Amino acid sequence: MTMTAERDIAPAAWLKATARPWKRKVAATTLLTVADVAPAIGFAGGLAMTVARFSDGLSAAAPWLALAVVSLIARGLVSQAMLAMGATVARDVKADVRGRLLADLFQRGRRSADRLAAPVEGVAALDGYYARFLPLRIAAGVSPLIIIAAAAMASPVTAGLLVFTLFPFIVGMALAGSAAAAESRRQFSALERLSGLFIDRIRALPAVLAFGAEARVTQEIADASRELETRSARVMRVAFLSSAVLEFFSALSVALVAVYCGFNLLGLLPFPVPETLTLAQAFFVLALAPEVYHPLRRLAAAYHDRQAAEAAVPSLVVEAAVPERQVDLPMIAPAVRFNEVRIAYGSGAPVIDRFTVDVRPGQIVALTGASGVGKSSLLHLLLGLAPLSGGQVEVGGAPLGEAGHFAGQIAWAGQNPVIIPGTLADNIRVADQTASLEQVTEAARAAGLDLSLDRVLDERGGGLSGGERRRLGMARAMLKRAPLMLLDEPTANLDSASETAMLDVIRKAAKGRTTLIATHSTAVAAMADRVVRL
Amino acid sequence: MSRGGEGARIRAMIDGQRRLERGRLRLAAAGGAAVSVAAVCLLGLSGWFITGAALAGVAGLLAAQTFNYLMPSAIIRLLAIIRTGARYVERVAGHEAALRALSRLRPQLFSALAAAPPEKALGLSSGETSARLIQDVDAIQTLFVRLSTPWALGAGAMSAIILTSMATPTAGLLLALTLGVGAFGSVILARRLADPAGRELQVAVGALKDHIGALEAAAPEMKAYGLQDWAAGSIASVAARHDAIQTRLTLAAGWIALWQSGVTALAVVLVVPATVGASLPMTALAALAAVMGVEAASGLAGALHQNGAAAQAMTRLEDLTTEPSADLQAAAPAHGLRLAARNIDLEAGARLAFTGPSGAGKTSLIERLAGLRPARPGEWVVGEADAAHIRPEGRRALFAYAAQDVRLIDGTVRQNLLLAGPADDAALWRALEDAALADRIQTDPRGLDAPVGAGGECLSGGERRRLGLARAYLRDAPWLLLDEPTEGLDAATESRVLEALERRLARTGQGLLMVSHHRAPLGLCARQVGIGESRRRSPTAGQEARRPVETRRF
Repeated sequence: MTMTAERDIAPAAWLKATARPWKRKVAATTLLTVADVAPAIGFAGGLAMTVARFSDGLSAAAPWLALAVVSLIARGLVSQAMLAMGATVARDVKADVRGRLLADLFQRGRRSADRLAAPVEGVAALDGYYARFLPLRIAAGVSPLIIIAAAAMASPVTAGLLVFTLFPFIVGMALAGSAAAAESRRQFSALERLSGLFIDRIRALPAVLAFGAEARVTQEIADASRELETRSARVMRVAFLSSAVLEFFSALSVALVAVYCGFNLLGLLPFPVPETLTLAQAFFVLALAPEVYHPLRRLAAAYHDRQAAEAAVPSLVVEAAVPERQVDLPMIAPAVRFNEVRIAYGSGAPVIDRFTVDVRPGQIVALTGASGVGKSSLLHLLLGLAPLSGGQVEVGGAPLGEAGHFAGQIAWAGQNPVIIPGTLADNIRVADQTASLEQVTEAARAAGLDLSLDRVLDERGGGLSGGERRRLGMARAMLKRAPLMLLDEPTANLDSASETAMLDVIRKAAKGRTTLIATHSTAVAAMADRVVRL
Repeated sequence: MSRGGEGARIRAMIDGQRRLERGRLRLAAAGGAAVSVAAVCLLGLSGWFITGAALAGVAGLLAAQTFNYLMPSAIIRLLAIIRTGARYVERVAGHEAALRALSRLRPQLFSALAAAPPEKALGLSSGETSARLIQDVDAIQTLFVRLSTPWALGAGAMSAIILTSMATPTAGLLLALTLGVGAFGSVILARRLADPAGRELQVAVGALKDHIGALEAAAPEMKAYGLQDWAAGSIASVAARHDAIQTRLTLAAGWIALWQSGVTALAVVLVVPATVGASLPMTALAALAAVMGVEAASGLAGALHQNGAAAQAMTRLEDLTTEPSADLQAAAPAHGLRLAARNIDLEAGARLAFTGPSGAGKTSLIERLAGLRPARPGEWVVGEADAAHIRPEGRRALFAYAAQDVRLIDGTVRQNLLLAGPADDAALWRALEDAALADRIQTDPRGLDAPVGAGGECLSGGERRRLGLARAYLRDAPWLLLDEPTEGLDAATESRVLEALERRLARTGQGLLMVSHHRAPLGLCARQVGIGESRRRSPTAGQEARRPVETRRF
């Protein structure tokens, strides 16, 4: 199956398809899960024979006691091996899914708070499904039959009874499995909402504090938190109730076996049976009876894992990415041609419509116009961050659009340069991961950023002033070896002396490059070869 | 600085929640105890019953008919029902108590963080904080759920020991010994294997969310620089570390379970031979009761396995809270300001502009006043008191702040405006009008309910700034604090904004503190103060503006 994922894809099918590359490991885990029945039978046999032979003296019972003990320890080892194998499968699948989510997140280049929870909470929800549910699902079909077969060797009638009791059990499991699916999805959505809410409100915390809005935001969080609690409680109650029902069934079935064995041993059965049980046989089947239901009950407990995973799937499905082809720009200053360009975000009114401009190679062009008129959008279009909704754009003769993009080949200084946690040098190096320390130092110096390169910055700006952030953006643009340079308000937040100095920097950086600058500054406009008013 | 020892504040919060959920927690404990007793008796009695029946059957028809099978089989059914019902009660009551407690703890912790001094409240990244409020709070769920464990363990062990002692006292003694060894070994294993992994796991999930939060915010930049693969790979490597730790924790649980199997084996080996001399049914009873007695301790193993994560989560959550400093004044005594460092007095309604080269520390200066950075003694005087002696929230109440770096929440225009306090739509529109943003919002059919996107990404830079301005207008405070209010605005919009601001100031009598590089806005202010012309190149300039990095504690 390919990942042509519409959002309404069947979660069960998606989960199964996702694990396909790890089919062998899943099979091995399943095998280990089934292998658990061997020591279970060994323990029951050992214990039954120990009790039966006990009256003949301890030495007669000792080998059987040893069998019980060895079986117990073997059971522990098998279960540890299963756990380890299951954990590996889960880890591999999770890494794979998370990798695809991250690739998608950064490929689109657009923020989306609703997808922030997917790589952590969403992926975590898969763990139980692959580590426990998937191997158990097959094992639950096989293991009970093997155990019943073992019981049949001691008492065919009991085996028949056990087979008979399986049916209501299976019906009960099916009901339990389908009961809470919708509720699980709502629970996961509530978790996503709460997680996203925390990230967003903490990001905006300076404003929340400045406006004394703590109580209001706390209330929002309390509401989202209570919503999660209500949803979780409902899912939990269904899960516990269904496992209680199954446990009850299993207890009843065991009691039925016990009563049959007891009456058979007493010889008081009101109907004729073709077998007369010995103590060892009776004890054996009685010890085995709970084991018949054990895999099924474990599976029922793991239903919760399945529901959690299925609930998370809609958030984990990655839309099939149109394979974007990187178009290589020439390493000399290109011409940039906008022809009848239209930019519209989503279904809203276009920000830019019928925009036509030819920029000659090496020109410095200032884009001016009222705030909100779409200057930044034009720059974002070239960066692949805004959609080309109509018209054509060519850079150095190469067309932009479905066919390809130029991301990664443009020197860019945005309006609000993002700070990643790390040193100032790390932050400048965002423009070129391969740059040497000398190159970084030179770019910082050229941009007038006279701070220590080792200074540690946090995501809220690390104490950089507005002007210093602009300079950081410029330093990135300087560091990037690219023939096309895009600057968005490069002199904002600068005093007039700094602005004059910055003009020199821009002029120097623009040498040999085609440069587009979105600006309100008359000084910047005056420096440009050409001013385009939007 | 925390007085009652490590983790005292978070522990007090948890204790408070436990008191609130006392009823449910007691019910869970009672349920847990009932489950263990019923399980031990059920299996023990079944073994006794079968064995007894076999002996009676062998002894002949008469013995079989006098064998009382009605009572035991009725008790077996009763025990099965009790076990099932009690387990349901234990689970639901325990988990419900935990869920309710956690859902109240989250806003409580957020509120505690917001009330912390600014260097702490604003010192943690959004991803890290989200991890603490989600994953760390989840990790302490066990502190509520496990409260029933000692009861279940105690009741299960006691009833198993009593039943085996009925076979022979030695058997009971040996079982008690085995259970003790079992619990001791589980504790050691948990300390060695599960605790370190659990502790690292909480730190790792914090690091993962922190990393995702930081790089996701930079997603447009990453794409523009062609760094998508680098960013995704960098997060994947942090995630791989997290996953590896999680696997270790899972396996630690497995080792504890394996130890439990070994203990069961030991119990059987010791108890069964010790019943020599007792009747065969009693041997069967003792053997099965011993097995179930060990199983009653499996809850303990589960609780132990989560210990490390819970302990680390406590430490991380404690770190979100702060001891309130009692020696600060709650509110500002009066509204007059004085910039002591420059000997400038500002009575109510005064207007002052700060100018100076970029990077001189103008924004830091006003944020120290407005309670968004640690105040410096001797710098600002509010009323008669040094600003450093007034609580940050007391000072914040005096200012309506339009920051240079406008922070918007991912919601609608209305939600962002209402952060300033309750207001009707007419007031919202007036504020937008004065910020020259009303036209733009009106063109959107959704109007005030139009979403602004994460970080305001649906708005242009100039629009974000004007929305921040409108929000400041809506706050009823004696001082307007505007940092570069017209940056990114074209000349026509700028003059519209400034005219409206002049009218507004005349009407409300608010004072104005402004930072700007532009000539036009400075015209509103009677006085201007140049900041840090010479200080900029001094070696301390960098230090001064620096915000604390997140590992620093105050």
